[in-house]
Amino acid sequence: MAARLPEHGVTPGHPHGDAPSRFPGFDALDQADAWDPVTAGVVLARLGPLPPLRFFTPQQESVARPLLDLILAQHEEPRVPVFEMVDQRLAELTTDGWRYEDLPPDPQAWARSLEAMESDALAEHGHGFAACSPDEQAGMLESLLDLGDGVWHGMHADRVWSLWSRYACTAFYSHPWAWNEIGWPGPAYPRGYKNPGVGTREPFEVPDAGPLESHGVPSRGTDGDR
Amino acid sequence: MRTILRDGSADAVRDRNASAWLIPAGQRRINEKLRAEMRHYDDGDEIDAVIVGCGAGGSTMLQRLARAGWRVAALDAGPFWDPDRDWVSDEAGSHHLYWTEPRVIAGTDPVPLGSNNSGRGVGGSMVHYAGFAPRFHPSDFHTASADGVGHDWPFAYDDLKPYYEAIEGELPVSGEDWPWGDPHRYPHAPHPVSGNGEVFQRGADALGIETRVGPVAITNGRFGHRQHCIYRGFCLQGCKVNAKASPLITHVPDALAHGAEVRPDAMVVSVEVDERTGRATGVRYVRDGVERFQRAAHVIVAGYSIETPRLLLHSTSKRFPDGLCNDFDLVGRYLMVQGAPQTGGRFADEIRMYKAPPPEVSSESFYETDPAKPYRRGFSIQTVSPLPITWSEHFAGQKVWGDDLRRQMRDFVHWACLGALCEFLAQPDNRVTLAGQRDRHGMPVAKFSYSQCDNDRALMKEASSTMEQILLAAGAEHVTTFHRYAHLVGGARMGTDERSGVVDGDCRSFAVPNLLVTDGSVLPTQGAANPALTIMSVAARAADRLVRRPDPRG
Repeated sequence: MAARLPEHGVTPGHPHGDAPSRFPGFDALDQADAWDPVTAGVVLARLGPLPPLRFFTPQQESVARPLLDLILAQHEEPRVPVFEMVDQRLAELTTDGWRYEDLPPDPQAWARSLEAMESDALAEHGHGFAACSPDEQAGMLESLLDLGDGVWHGMHADRVWSLWSRYACTAFYSHPWAWNEIGWPGPAYPRGYKNPGVGTREPFEVPDAGPLESHGVPSRGTDGDR
Repeated sequence: MRTILRDGSADAVRDRNASAWLIPAGQRRINEKLRAEMRHYDDGDEIDAVIVGCGAGGSTMLQRLARAGWRVAALDAGPFWDPDRDWVSDEAGSHHLYWTEPRVIAGTDPVPLGSNNSGRGVGGSMVHYAGFAPRFHPSDFHTASADGVGHDWPFAYDDLKPYYEAIEGELPVSGEDWPWGDPHRYPHAPHPVSGNGEVFQRGADALGIETRVGPVAITNGRFGHRQHCIYRGFCLQGCKVNAKASPLITHVPDALAHGAEVRPDAMVVSVEVDERTGRATGVRYVRDGVERFQRAAHVIVAGYSIETPRLLLHSTSKRFPDGLCNDFDLVGRYLMVQGAPQTGGRFADEIRMYKAPPPEVSSESFYETDPAKPYRRGFSIQTVSPLPITWSEHFAGQKVWGDDLRRQMRDFVHWACLGALCEFLAQPDNRVTLAGQRDRHGMPVAKFSYSQCDNDRALMKEASSTMEQILLAAGAEHVTTFHRYAHLVGGARMGTDERSGVVDGDCRSFAVPNLLVTDGSVLPTQGAANPALTIMSVAARAADRLVRRPDPRG
């Protein structure tokens, strides 16, 4: 099995060292030797080099990078390479296949929505999205979300959000760094689990050390996405 | 009428379906010799039946017809899976298990397809279904008469019951004695319950709501050469253990051993009909880029609720200018999804809901129409346990992003999750039509329109509120509900005549005597149950009747 580099245990956004963690010392990759080889190949490839950018134009890239960082709160290195992973999916058409009747297929929907975000930035702030301050970028995203199922540049705003967030979440939470942050061990074949049950753990699971910060109240109620 | 075996014991199953014994006993998950020595028919052979689609309905037909001595081949658009090499214990890495060819979704409540409800390859959607295998209730077969909604089936529950028992033995299904619908037992004992199941039981007990462990199509103990579940929690990513049932391991091996052919990577683009006799002559399909034609005495379509209507609508001729079997504009209509909200509860304890099969515990206490409620029909509640990507998408769907999203996700091990299946009603305008867009074969893609009715919305609300109460009663600090859909059925429904259905109760089309549809699209209603067991049982019944009476007009 591949030799493990120390930084594999680092949670993105928290540089190597004594950064706080909810699951101190937990590293999903510590179990990589117990994974079946096909799964190990697929997962470990995410830690290796990604193909060169092929899909996004530089102008689209200038919007997509900060937008994806905003959605996933990736404020500093090391980052999960979410932008590169999204570019790869769109270049290779690894989409879910379906599209909303009023939206083009995913690659064109990405291109069109990023260009719309850029034009909003120019109109509202007089400079491109990449040059906007974090507060300006966050404000623009909030404005889009506030539109709900209203129309934004000819597209339903909630469907644009669904597109961006599905790609962002799939990329980020497929990465072992993100698994470390949430205390999830990842692949489990052929090992399986021996200790299910409330409050029980496997020897390789690490108990939650408690909140990093005082928690805000999560969104409540039953009005999720449609 | 001949007796149908009801004994779910392994020996009794082996006599009629030896699939579990044809899989090797060691750590290899497929029988390479059986596949290598599989029979191959020539396109020009008029085989007894060609089946389109090798999922729940198609594979069951294949095995039953092969056992009856028919010369039969099943064509599937996707691969002939090898769980060792093709499947991974990983969420994002399982994207290839889903049908991701282009499709268009529309209507006031468009239903996303792909990962949640559309399978690909031999085994179909059962490769990535959770594994819940409940029966429908007797009331499901006559909702129009009893409740004034939906559509009565052309046969009753009792007509299907022996086939339910047979398929439950072959999967096999494990669970506690079942008190709802037609009370019955399961061939395998219930599985142990994990943290998520414990939470459901605790909350339901506190409220006086009955729950039962199961019913899941996951072996509890060895079954033939299939191994015991290892509780790894990746049921939705394809079971690498061979513990969770899918036709790839429950019906295809026995079919091959009885001379059937599975022809993977073969995309059927039309069903051909003889203009003079009005009979189906075979299917046109594309394999390795070459278009071919397989002749057959019977054509059996089993492509599921989107692809079956699409194929029929695309199969036009002088006799059927609007699509095969579509004389009365019924093909593609009355397609149903279930409202499937998921409610999460955050607990101070660590639940770690990923440590077990997602399907564990169910309640059908709310399944039937309650006269005191403003809606008809009902819902069931089951454990579900989304993995991190799906879980994060749930929060993102509620417009949680940035630091809030990361914070929510750091709580992952503290959440328990329940899912409901709400019986949404069949409506004529919830349907598949052909879009202007074409796929790489040049075939028009399916457009699926879906809109909820008031009854649907009322059910979804009640189910969500019930799940929230259960989780709060179990001690959740707070709860939240994510709205979504699950399953597909209908689109080529059974009826009593050609004006009410595309096929009759034997799954034979009214318009073309040697054309059958044997997948989920024939279901006139869907109950509040996961459809796999019913799809297989309806196909097993159709096979039984076809073998006994191959030509109704002959």
